[in-house]
Amino acid sequence: MADFLDEIEAAVPALRRYARGLTGDSDRADDLVQDCLERAIRKRALWQPTGPLRAWLFRMLLNLYRNELRGRKRRGEHLPIDEMTVEPSVAASQHGHIALAELARALEQLPAEQREALLLVVVEGMSYAEAASTLEIPIGTLMSRLGRARAALRKLTGTNEEPRLRTVK
Amino acid sequence: MSAGESAPFSVSGMDERLHAYADRQLDAAGRAEVEAWLAEHPEAAVEVARWRRQNDGIRALFDPVAAEPVPERLNPHRLQRGIVAQRWQNLRVAAAVVLVLGFGAGAGWIVRTATWTEAPASVRLITGALAAHNLYAHEKQHAVEMDGSSPALLAAWLSHGIGRQIVAPDLSAQGFMLVGGRVLPPIAETGTGPAAQIMYQNATASRVTLYITAAPVSPGKASENGSAKGVEAYYWADKNITCTVVGDLPDPVMAALTRSAVEQLSWRPAA
Repeated sequence: MADFLDEIEAAVPALRRYARGLTGDSDRADDLVQDCLERAIRKRALWQPTGPLRAWLFRMLLNLYRNELRGRKRRGEHLPIDEMTVEPSVAASQHGHIALAELARALEQLPAEQREALLLVVVEGMSYAEAASTLEIPIGTLMSRLGRARAALRKLTGTNEEPRLRTVK
Repeated sequence: MSAGESAPFSVSGMDERLHAYADRQLDAAGRAEVEAWLAEHPEAAVEVARWRRQNDGIRALFDPVAAEPVPERLNPHRLQRGIVAQRWQNLRVAAAVVLVLGFGAGAGWIVRTATWTEAPASVRLITGALAAHNLYAHEKQHAVEMDGSSPALLAAWLSHGIGRQIVAPDLSAQGFMLVGGRVLPPIAETGTGPAAQIMYQNATASRVTLYITAAPVSPGKASENGSAKGVEAYYWADKNITCTVVGDLPDPVMAALTRSAVEQLSWRPAA
């Protein structure tokens, strides 16, 4: 039992990071993670120790996120773009605040399914196979979402102009 | 507005490999192959470089979140305790407390069901003692608030917490060493104030807790016992304090521990 809780604890920083990327809001993100952890602890008996705990937790987080989105839509809540700005962190200075804030806003405007896929691969570093199984979609669908997401980001961050992001090696 | 509503978009063949390259999902051979191809397709190379910058930007936005200190409310150990406590709460609201009475009588176990609203202080205290035991006895890191390295200091602190002068009984004759203790909030409608939980452990890491409070206004029974989920609780009260001994050891051991604890706790220096 302690092992199970310790394993969950080890996954919390990544779950927070992913939830922050999905919602763009630190309080909403942490609420989602808390729901996810409570659910995991209550449903512990349903977890097959043979399967990867990480994917199980991410799947649960995704379901909660989608339910939350549906609830917001039903209630007719629309968040003004201004309120959804991701809080860029200190390390952002490397890239230039403006370009990153623009990228953050562009991410907010992606359809949820594209954002879910892109963040699992890029931020969580999942292999395509792992991301596809976490999202419960075929790899082909995952690839198509990644392709769309990238094309959309390019459009949203200033079409042909080079985004002023410099890769720091 | 949404870019996802455009015509069917398919990523196939080389395109798929380019994404895999941008996402660093290829092995060395695959990378070399793609790089050779890109050298001859400068437009694709520009596109791939753009994807990589997007990736870098996205990581710069969110990577630091994982390095932030995690808020205490997201600590799974704490959440687990909350869930356990809530289950006990639900049990109480369900209001069916099944008690096994007749401690020490030897003959005739009486089973009684009491609704929580009319439960006497002794029943509430036993329930509280069982809940506290189940909450903390399995903790590795945070089983106690103050450790038992100085029994006198621990006893002084707990005495202050519950408003009664108590000792931390020595149970080494039964093979149990002092782990430490904590002060717990009062149980509603008992009139006893906060509780002191003192924890002991034997060589096989079995744990026993004493749950001690000031005596209730209406004392009710002097001794009683209850159990839940295989954990036994032995309750005892005098004019001064109540003590509930909780553990999952065989009856004779529990009885010996209770006797020893009661003797030490009820002993008073001559006035």
